[in-house]
Amino acid sequence: MLRAFDKYRHSFLIGLQGNLIYRWNFAVRGFFSLFHLAVVFILWGAAFAGSDQLGGYSLNQTLTYFVTLLVLMFFISAFNEDYQISEDIRNGLINQFLLKPINYFGYRFSIFLAARLVSGSLVLIPLLVALPFLYSHLTFPAEPWRLAVGLPAMALSAMVQFSIAYSFGMLTFWFLDIQGFVILSMAVESVLGGQMFPLDLLPDWAYAIARFLPFYYQMYFPAAIFTGRISDPNLIAQGFMIQLSWVAILLIVNQALWSRGLRRHTAVGG
Amino acid sequence: MMYYLRVWAASARYSLTRAMMFRGDLLVWSLVELFWMGVNLLTISVIYGHTDSIAGWTKYEMVLLVGTSMLIQRFLMGFFWSSLFEMGRNVRSGNFDFTLAQPGNVLFMASTRKLDLDGLMNAVIATAVVIYAVRQLGLHPGPLEIALYIFFILCGIVIHYSVLVLSISMVFWLSSAQGVEGGYFSMTEFSRLPRQAFQGIVSRTLFVYALPVVIVSNAPAATLLHGFNPTLTLWLAGSAAVWFTVAVWTFHRGLRRYSSASS
Repeated sequence: MLRAFDKYRHSFLIGLQGNLIYRWNFAVRGFFSLFHLAVVFILWGAAFAGSDQLGGYSLNQTLTYFVTLLVLMFFISAFNEDYQISEDIRNGLINQFLLKPINYFGYRFSIFLAARLVSGSLVLIPLLVALPFLYSHLTFPAEPWRLAVGLPAMALSAMVQFSIAYSFGMLTFWFLDIQGFVILSMAVESVLGGQMFPLDLLPDWAYAIARFLPFYYQMYFPAAIFTGRISDPNLIAQGFMIQLSWVAILLIVNQALWSRGLRRHTAVGG
Repeated sequence: MMYYLRVWAASARYSLTRAMMFRGDLLVWSLVELFWMGVNLLTISVIYGHTDSIAGWTKYEMVLLVGTSMLIQRFLMGFFWSSLFEMGRNVRSGNFDFTLAQPGNVLFMASTRKLDLDGLMNAVIATAVVIYAVRQLGLHPGPLEIALYIFFILCGIVIHYSVLVLSISMVFWLSSAQGVEGGYFSMTEFSRLPRQAFQGIVSRTLFVYALPVVIVSNAPAATLLHGFNPTLTLWLAGSAAVWFTVAVWTFHRGLRRYSSASS
């Protein structure tokens, strides 16, 4: 068991080294994300002008939500894992995994964790630089239980994020280019994942549907727990159940795509 | 000049043939662009479900602004995005050698290799969004306003192109272009905001006056809403000239650092 774990620990360390090479790229990306934050502050600041609340939340609560989302994005969201997997399949690099006692999903997930550790740490630099400005707008609820509940939700969200990216990568077994599907999905995720606006601003019927979709659990769920947009224990428990179900469903889909995809795969050389 | 037009026409023919070979791909990418436009319009719709005005702009004025911003971006996507995106990858891999070996201006050759039909098709939809907003607002722009609007859109394409070239040119200094293209999207996000929303001295100075990202969409939309404004016209045309010069200069500075594979 420990030896099996050791393989993935090494994969994680290789991933760490690989991603540290691109530390400047992550840092630049983190810097550019401050521009996105500026857009959010300006847009929502103008939308709130003349009214204290919008959808039941103050301007600072809304801005806190977007800052939290940004941090979560760099810590748990899948950046280009789908493309990396796609490249592995297209270039035949997965052949080596078919011959070695290592699980491809486990290997990729270890690399994903390493990449997010690097990108998550690096985004803290531009955020610290912007902190003097952000500080007066941040208003987190002072309830420690949110951290205890939000962190597991965040971990499960990382699983949902990675599993979706992995599924898109697997599509390379059937399609030459998956980029279109990925960006199409990003458009859907940006709305239903709460990146464009907090999902509770949607009409009630649309919000009720969104709660049962996997996109809600990619980032919105932990962000809503951390920022106080969800407080009802029943809703949180229900959310965890749905999130766990999506993790299980996506893992099954991942495995099915891998085994079915391999039937179509032709290894040449290696 | 004619030589470059012929080169561009040849690239366009090649891209058209290629797009017809991969029709499914064309359909998916057209949907991608359509979905992203939908995302922006939906966001406006949701926010205006809770408020009547954003910085004094009504819902359909915002639709006009966002439609104008999308129109410029779709043209950029259609004409230049794929070629410049690929340039970032090619500089890293060393395949940029092939562009350098071509008989013509390097930036022109690198910018016009491919034409994306999906972007251009969606420019038609963005135009429809603009027309829809104009009708909802009950506007009746005259020939001067329409001519100015088209001129402003052209200036906008030049500005967006320059910002994209500047972002991609960073690849000459960094080890990979991964993530840096995002700089273009970060900057163009501002073009969907009304100028009046920039209240702080820093944001106003930086994004309205120093960078051309706000004026690029606000000037054409304001022309349809309020008519000809000489200040805006000079401002936008001047910005296009200055930013294009800066982008070309930066690209050529970066090019000096290029040393084939792994540079």
